[in-house]
Amino acid sequence: MSEKNPTAYELLFGPAHPGSGNFSVRLKVEGEEVTSARADPGYLHRGFEKLMEYRNRMQNSILSDRVCVFEALNWNLIHAQAVDELTGEDIPEKARYIRVLMAELSRIQSHLIWYGATSMGLGFDTGFKVAFGYRDYILDIFELVTGGRVYPAGYICPGGVRRDLPDSAKDKIRGVLGKTREMLRKCESFEKTTLQYRTKGVGILDRGDALRLGATGPIARASGVSSDVRSDDPYEIYPELDFEIPVRDEGDAYARCIVGRQEIRESIKIVEQVLERMPEGKLDPIKPKLANKIPEGEVYVRNEIARGEAGIYMKSIGEESPYRCKIRGPSLLHMIPVLEHLLKGAQIADVPAIYWSLNICPADMDR
Amino acid sequence: MIKTILELIRNLFKKPMTVRFPHEQIEMPEGFRGEHAYEIDKCISCGLCCKICPNRAIEMIDAPQKDRDKYPKTYPRIDLGKCCFCGFCEDICPTDALKLTKNVYLSTFDSESVIKEPIEK
Repeated sequence: MSEKNPTAYELLFGPAHPGSGNFSVRLKVEGEEVTSARADPGYLHRGFEKLMEYRNRMQNSILSDRVCVFEALNWNLIHAQAVDELTGEDIPEKARYIRVLMAELSRIQSHLIWYGATSMGLGFDTGFKVAFGYRDYILDIFELVTGGRVYPAGYICPGGVRRDLPDSAKDKIRGVLGKTREMLRKCESFEKTTLQYRTKGVGILDRGDALRLGATGPIARASGVSSDVRSDDPYEIYPELDFEIPVRDEGDAYARCIVGRQEIRESIKIVEQVLERMPEGKLDPIKPKLANKIPEGEVYVRNEIARGEAGIYMKSIGEESPYRCKIRGPSLLHMIPVLEHLLKGAQIADVPAIYWSLNICPADMDR
Repeated sequence: MIKTILELIRNLFKKPMTVRFPHEQIEMPEGFRGEHAYEIDKCISCGLCCKICPNRAIEMIDAPQKDRDKYPKTYPRIDLGKCCFCGFCEDICPTDALKLTKNVYLSTFDSESVIKEPIEK
């Protein structure tokens, strides 16, 4: 509190706030209005980039799970692609399909978390419980395919996938897609009660600011920037698939929620196409090996994950482990420049709506 | 508002999403990565599990004094507290001596019990 202005004080949002996820924002407040905000990251630093320099490729794919808990399979895929590009290994066609299938299912469950966390932040408990309840059906699929609910333990690994899809998986996935559609119908039926009132017209990020501050993924797409790595710089089997990129022009928190939900619909379409076209035949499991050197070279791989654009830069000097591995998470730019920009001039009551609508994950920023 | 009420009525006739846990359990699928099962008689003491473990949770140790005549080599001791249940030890084991089971009920108050000795003391 300052002596000159008794209504001016500093307010801490996080890191112990439920749901803020080991991340803190220092807000300078005058009355009800936020005059400036400063992001305070670094509570979740685990040093993956350094750890990766001491482990071989298969051990690193286990580490890549944990870059972001909610998008373990997507991070597996990026790491596997970086190593595959260095080794120049041929990936079996079926493994490519399974990779995309799992990455898209992971995207759906990540968007469900986003919806759930936003609802929780707004005091809309029904949305939170419904989203997390339906997410569990997707986790059941992960459990069946990878052997673990949250951590797939490097299921998508350099050279393909660790094991073939079980016979019962296809039917179960189709069932889960039906359930996810049911969840979307539920969300649409009750969003007017709370979500729309709390998020419409809040935290508007216009197109120019989105480009200037480096927003990617659904945050940029909600501000009218049509960019998606899956269509701009396609990888795996995405060029063969038919899907749309949802874009909205409003740029507010509500538009971001809607883009997230439309992306779930597009991901469902992708998963259906992948299941239909999946090649027949058995896939050999990939077993870990010792003394498996990565050829010399350097590479940068980028992918579209649920939160935006993610990348890995990897340099190898011909040893078992990479010489350097730099991880680029999508949340860094959303959490610092975009969040600070949006919070300036906002009301205290709108802070949670802005914070959670940006779909940020401290884990992939602090690494 | 009508949509919301319809959804509410629909939910009245649905089963809950959860199960009543201790009485009812969801079945684990094949290939689940849970607690290790180790068969010392199949083990050839190659030490591959110890070398591949990403968390260095496996240590090769001598058998206790009383069993040293029967088991003269070194055998894996697994620290479940460090284990990330990746299943690399199972994949790399040439004789299938080490396997992951479906047991996930590993919570304990006793820090000693998280260490799995190759031979019970």
